[in-house]
Amino acid sequence: MIDVVAILMANYLYVLAITLGGMLISLSVHFVPVGGAPAAMAQATGIGTGTVQLAAGAGLTGLVTAGAVMAVSDSLPLILAAGAVGAMIMMSVTMLVGAWVYTYGVGVPPASAKVKYDPITKDRQDLYVSQGTEGHGLPTVSFVSGVIGGLLGGIGGSLVYYSLMMNTTTSLTTSNLVGLASIFAVGIFFVNAVIPSYNIGGTIEGFHDPKFKKWPKAVFSSFIATFLSALIGVLAIGGL
Amino acid sequence: MSAGGEPKAIGGAIVPNKIIAFGILGGLIGIYAAHFLDSMISPVFSFMGALGAICAIVWGADAVRRVCSYGLGTGVPSIGMLALGMGVVASMFGLAVGGIYGPILAFVSAAIIGLIIGVLANKVLGMNIPIMEQSMVEIAGAGALTIVGLSTTMAGTFMFDEVLTYVVAPGYIAVIFIAGGMAILHPFNACLGPDEHQDRTLTLAFEKGGIAMVIAGLVSAVAGSAAMLPTIMIGVFIWYTSFAKFYELTKRDSYKILGSGLLPTEEELQ
Repeated sequence: MIDVVAILMANYLYVLAITLGGMLISLSVHFVPVGGAPAAMAQATGIGTGTVQLAAGAGLTGLVTAGAVMAVSDSLPLILAAGAVGAMIMMSVTMLVGAWVYTYGVGVPPASAKVKYDPITKDRQDLYVSQGTEGHGLPTVSFVSGVIGGLLGGIGGSLVYYSLMMNTTTSLTTSNLVGLASIFAVGIFFVNAVIPSYNIGGTIEGFHDPKFKKWPKAVFSSFIATFLSALIGVLAIGGL
Repeated sequence: MSAGGEPKAIGGAIVPNKIIAFGILGGLIGIYAAHFLDSMISPVFSFMGALGAICAIVWGADAVRRVCSYGLGTGVPSIGMLALGMGVVASMFGLAVGGIYGPILAFVSAAIIGLIIGVLANKVLGMNIPIMEQSMVEIAGAGALTIVGLSTTMAGTFMFDEVLTYVVAPGYIAVIFIAGGMAILHPFNACLGPDEHQDRTLTLAFEKGGIAMVIAGLVSAVAGSAAMLPTIMIGVFIWYTSFAKFYELTKRDSYKILGSGLLPTEEELQ
C-alpha cells in the first residue's frame, strides 16, 4: 500500500492549488453566456448550447495550450497565461461565429432581455428584443463576459494540470504522467463545469444577469468536490 | 396504442433494484472474469470486460432516466459528462492503488464522490430532487465500472501498469470517456418525452454499449494480452440485435408509420 501521509505532506500545496483551480473553473462558468436550447432557436440571449459543452470546449483548449507550453517551460505564469489565452481564443471564436449566425443567418439583432441598457456600450436593449423571446444574439456585455469566463476557466484548468504534473513523489515516466494528469484534469474539469450549470439552471447571459449572484453556492460546492478529487488524484499519481 | 400513449407505471417495468444489481454484479463479474480468464486461459476472454461495461452502461442509463425525468434544467448530456468525470477520477485512483481490489476500490470511491456531489446538489445548490443523492451514487458507480470494464478489454487486464501503458498514455482513455459518456447519457436524451418507455431506452443503451465494445476491440489490437476479433465480433452482434430490437420498439411506440417513398426522379417532377 502507499504511504498516504508522506505523499500528502510532500504535495499539500498542489492539493490546494488543484482545489483553487476547480473553484476558478466553477466561477468561470457563470461568466459564459449560455443560452441552451432556447438560444439555438434564437429565443434567448447567448450561445445555443449547454454550459458543459461550452465550458468543456474552452477548458480543454486551454488544457491543450497549457500542455504544449509545459513541454518547453516550467514557468507557472507562462503556463497559466497559455491556458488562459487558449481558452479565451476558443470562447471568442465560438461567440463570434455564433454572432454571425444570429445576425446574418437568423436575422436578429443582438439584444439582452435582462438589462435595459448594455452596461458596457450603454446601448438601449429592450426595444430590440422580439416579442415572446428572452433576448437573442450576443450583445457586447455577454461577449466581454464570455471572454472573462474563458480567462478564468483557462487559468483554472491549467492550474489543475500543472499541479498534477508537478507531483514530487511520483516515479512515473513523463509520457505516462502526461496521460494520467491530463485525464485527471479532464475529469476534474467536467465535474466543476456541471456543478455550476446545475446552479445556473439552464441559461445565463453573463455577469449582468441576476442569476450571476448565485455564484458563491457553486464555488463552495466545487471547493468540497474538487478538494476530494484533488486528494484522490494526488494520492494516485504520487503513489506510483 | 392510443394517440396519447398508455399511462405508464412510474419507474418503468423493471424495478430499479434489479437493474442496480444487474449493473454492479454484472459489471464486477465481467471485469474480474476478463482479468482472470485472460491471464489463466487465453487472451480471447478479454471481451468479458466490455460485457461488464455494458451491464454498467445499462444501469447508468436507467439511473439517468430516473433522475432526468425530474427535469434538471440543463439538459441530459451534463449528467453523462458528470458521471464520467467522477468515474474517471475514481477509477484511475482505484486501479492505481488497489491492485487486485482495484475495480472494487474504484467503484467504492466513485460512490463516495457521487454521494458528496448529490448532497451538495440538493443541500447547497438547492435542486431539491428527492432521488438526487442515490442517483448520483449510481451514476458515478456506473461511470467508474464502464471505464474499468472498457480499459480491461483494451489492455487485457486491470493491473495499472498495463492500463497505463496501453490505455492512458496513448490517450485511448479519452475515447473511453466519450464513448462511455455517450452510452450513458444518449439513451434517455434520445428517447425522452411523454411516450418514453423503459424497454426502448434500455435497448438503446445496449446498442450504445455494443458500439463502445467494438471501439474497445479495435483499440485492443495494440495490446499483447488482449484479443481483438472476439471483442469486435461480439460487439457487432450485440449492436445489430439491439439495434434491430430498438427499431422494432420504436415502430411499436410510434403513433403511425407512413412510407414517404423514394425521392422523385427528375423526369417525374416535370
